[in-house]
Amino acid sequence: MKSWFFKSEVKNDMEKKEWEKFLVRSNDFKKIFYVNQKTKVRFCFSFMSTIIDENTLQTNILPYLLEKDFNELDDIKLIVPMSDVQISDDASQIEQKIFNGYILVTIETEKKRFAFIAAQKEIVRTVAPPEVEFSVIGPKESFVESIGQNLNLIRKRLPIKELIVEELTVGKLSKTRVGIMHVEGIADPENLNTIIQRIKDIEIDNIVDSSYIVQIISDNKHSPFPLLLDTERPDRVAAILAEGKIAIVVDGSPHILIAPTTLVEFFGSFEDYYLNYILSSFFRLIRLFAVAFSILITPIYVATLSYHYELIPKDLLSTLITSRREVPLPPILEALFLELTIELLREAGARLPTKVGQTIGIVGGIVIGTASVQAGLTSNVLLILVALSALASFTTPVYKMGNTIRVLRFPFLLFAELWGLLGVVFCFILLMTHLLRLTSLGRPFLEPLYPLRVHDFKDALIRLPFSKQNMRPQFLRTEQPVRFNKKKTKDKKQDIDE
Amino acid sequence: MSVSIPEKSKISHFLVFFLISSMQIGIGVLGFQRIIAKTAGYDAWISVIIAGLFNHIIIWIMFKVLESTNGDLVSVHTFILGNKVGKIISSVFTIYFVLLATAVLRTYIEIIQVWMFPDLKTFWYAFAYLLATIYIIYGGFRTVTGIAFFCTVLPSYLILTFAYTVPFSNFESILPIFDHKLKDIFLATRDMSLTYLGFETLMMYYPYIKNPEKSKKWAHLAILSTTFLYTVLTIITFAYFSEGQLEKTVWATLSMWKIVQLPFVERFEYIGIANWNLIILPNICIAIWCSSRILKRTVNIKQKKGVILIALLCLVSLNFFETRDQINWLNDLTGKIGFYVNYFYIPFLLVTVLIVRKVKKK
Repeated sequence: MKSWFFKSEVKNDMEKKEWEKFLVRSNDFKKIFYVNQKTKVRFCFSFMSTIIDENTLQTNILPYLLEKDFNELDDIKLIVPMSDVQISDDASQIEQKIFNGYILVTIETEKKRFAFIAAQKEIVRTVAPPEVEFSVIGPKESFVESIGQNLNLIRKRLPIKELIVEELTVGKLSKTRVGIMHVEGIADPENLNTIIQRIKDIEIDNIVDSSYIVQIISDNKHSPFPLLLDTERPDRVAAILAEGKIAIVVDGSPHILIAPTTLVEFFGSFEDYYLNYILSSFFRLIRLFAVAFSILITPIYVATLSYHYELIPKDLLSTLITSRREVPLPPILEALFLELTIELLREAGARLPTKVGQTIGIVGGIVIGTASVQAGLTSNVLLILVALSALASFTTPVYKMGNTIRVLRFPFLLFAELWGLLGVVFCFILLMTHLLRLTSLGRPFLEPLYPLRVHDFKDALIRLPFSKQNMRPQFLRTEQPVRFNKKKTKDKKQDIDE
Repeated sequence: MSVSIPEKSKISHFLVFFLISSMQIGIGVLGFQRIIAKTAGYDAWISVIIAGLFNHIIIWIMFKVLESTNGDLVSVHTFILGNKVGKIISSVFTIYFVLLATAVLRTYIEIIQVWMFPDLKTFWYAFAYLLATIYIIYGGFRTVTGIAFFCTVLPSYLILTFAYTVPFSNFESILPIFDHKLKDIFLATRDMSLTYLGFETLMMYYPYIKNPEKSKKWAHLAILSTTFLYTVLTIITFAYFSEGQLEKTVWATLSMWKIVQLPFVERFEYIGIANWNLIILPNICIAIWCSSRILKRTVNIKQKKGVILIALLCLVSLNFFETRDQINWLNDLTGKIGFYVNYFYIPFLLVTVLIVRKVKKK
């Protein structure tokens, strides 16, 4: 018995030595010895100076340990005014704790036990207005790179005990904290289990951002469509949690993931809910039209001008022919040239610093456009169409979906060149099939269009008033499908002038 | 005897509406008017309605047959004839569905070649189209149903375009009613069958319906709406063309589109034909799905492999039909076989099922 105890002690000791050997090689590892002034107990601090808050250490920890009655390890809990103080004898924890910003305290009299005091230095960007999902009306908060701050922003909006956060650590090297949030009693436990399982199964060394997780846990990893919605708006996350969906918060990422999701959700801006339902329905329809326009207009141009100019009425045809008279290129090359120019401008604009980017936008948009028409490289009709379709692609409220739509144009162009309008429809068939086959957490991506769920149309292509939104979306299979009592919201039917 | 299908790959009962109507509306719509007018003249619209009524009876019979075994065509055959013989008879239907898919695809490609692209290579277009079909079928029956759904809903705006013909129509031309012999009208009813074909695929996907009892209503509704659509279309065509003109119009529906005038579109039939891509897609998908499903049920070939096999078979057989006459022959053949399958074989199945059941009970 005694020998066993002794052995494990040796092992513990060895482990302790092992981590220390590594840590001392880093310059920012500090190991400092102190003596308590009253009891003359010698104690020692080990920590990484770069990730702990020196201020906390100097004002909230050290003075107390030096001046108060400090005899044994358990006293720390009493004398140090910090909430997160842990006492442990498990040496394997040490390394992780130190790197999470804890201070390791050991005292001379107790070899096997030690204390951890939390003193993390949180460098958190201030909460800024959302940049990707900007809205004119509505809250101006957006998430930051700290999981704690992000949870704070969400919890403020849902102050209920049913909002549960489960935490996992992902990534062998990055040890990224991933929080999975849901509202108990509303969210479907099956969805929750699927997400937790998929996140647990992640096999990767380094998670830098939540978009890594999207790509790893999506149902179809080879689809250009994003299958999890990401947002930087706390209001959106809170609303969606209340709807019965699940949010994934990743430390170090200002984008929170939402699952399961559907295609139409990517075309709904959250500002839609802040506007009157007639306006927001109109804007949603405009956006859908914009997407269709953006994908189809250049392919249709190429198809008609390459194969079916009979389609165009006489008056319009003369306009087209005049604009194309000087152009030596076939329509497909003309279209590809312009589309690629626009993509180049976009890419350049996205990579350059803001101020230079603006200049490039003007130079590209005006100078290259006009010059290429004058040089006879492209027709001005196509220039208008391409510019409009680029503009239309920016109306998509979710940035990632906007990217997808940019890319979708190119296969359509190729098929239009191959088989004209037939090719456009054929490519549409492929796109439709692909969308039909997609699922998000096993739920059909095209819902409520297919499978047809008329009830869910209230918040899809159009948005009905809040009094009609008394049921949660059907496809989420929520445990509590009723959001609120509809009867209480009903307007009293009154006669004129009563 | 019954086939067990996992719940998650089953479809809602109302989707049967789209499965049946999308399968019925295919290539026949584009040119059936001339064929039925050949025998019954301008009384042929009566034949369209009569054929529709017959379809209701056949659908009713189909549900009766299927309910008896609670499975598909293969389980009905094995119920009647025992395992081995039943499977042999069932596998014959593989060929029938291949024929159906081939006839539709070849005729469609012919229309493209005649109206839009004289140089379109039959092989390459069919190749691409069948690849898309394989991609769809790989998504499972729910995807196939989804295609049927979208390919019914999205092109439905085309119905409106026929309103353009109304100002140029003379509805008195269908008068006098009943100036043809009853026999002629019934002959036209038979000729109508190719246009109506396709709902026999119900015999294969029946086990995939979540609530078969409720789906009956939707199946009948589908038949009703196609009958209505065809009757309206026939009457519009008869009012638009004179009898002599119609005789020379192979694709009457397509020709009617020539009158459509929009401020930005001159020849609407191009858009119509391109859109028809969508309309024939469920025809081909469901037929090939049924065909490969039979293969899976009889010879135990995995459906993943079966689909490729069937698609290859279609692709090869497509190339044998080059001229108008050959394609016409293919269509006639499919029409005839379909006619006998639907209107004779399926009622015959019901009778046999009832007899076998009585015998087995004793």
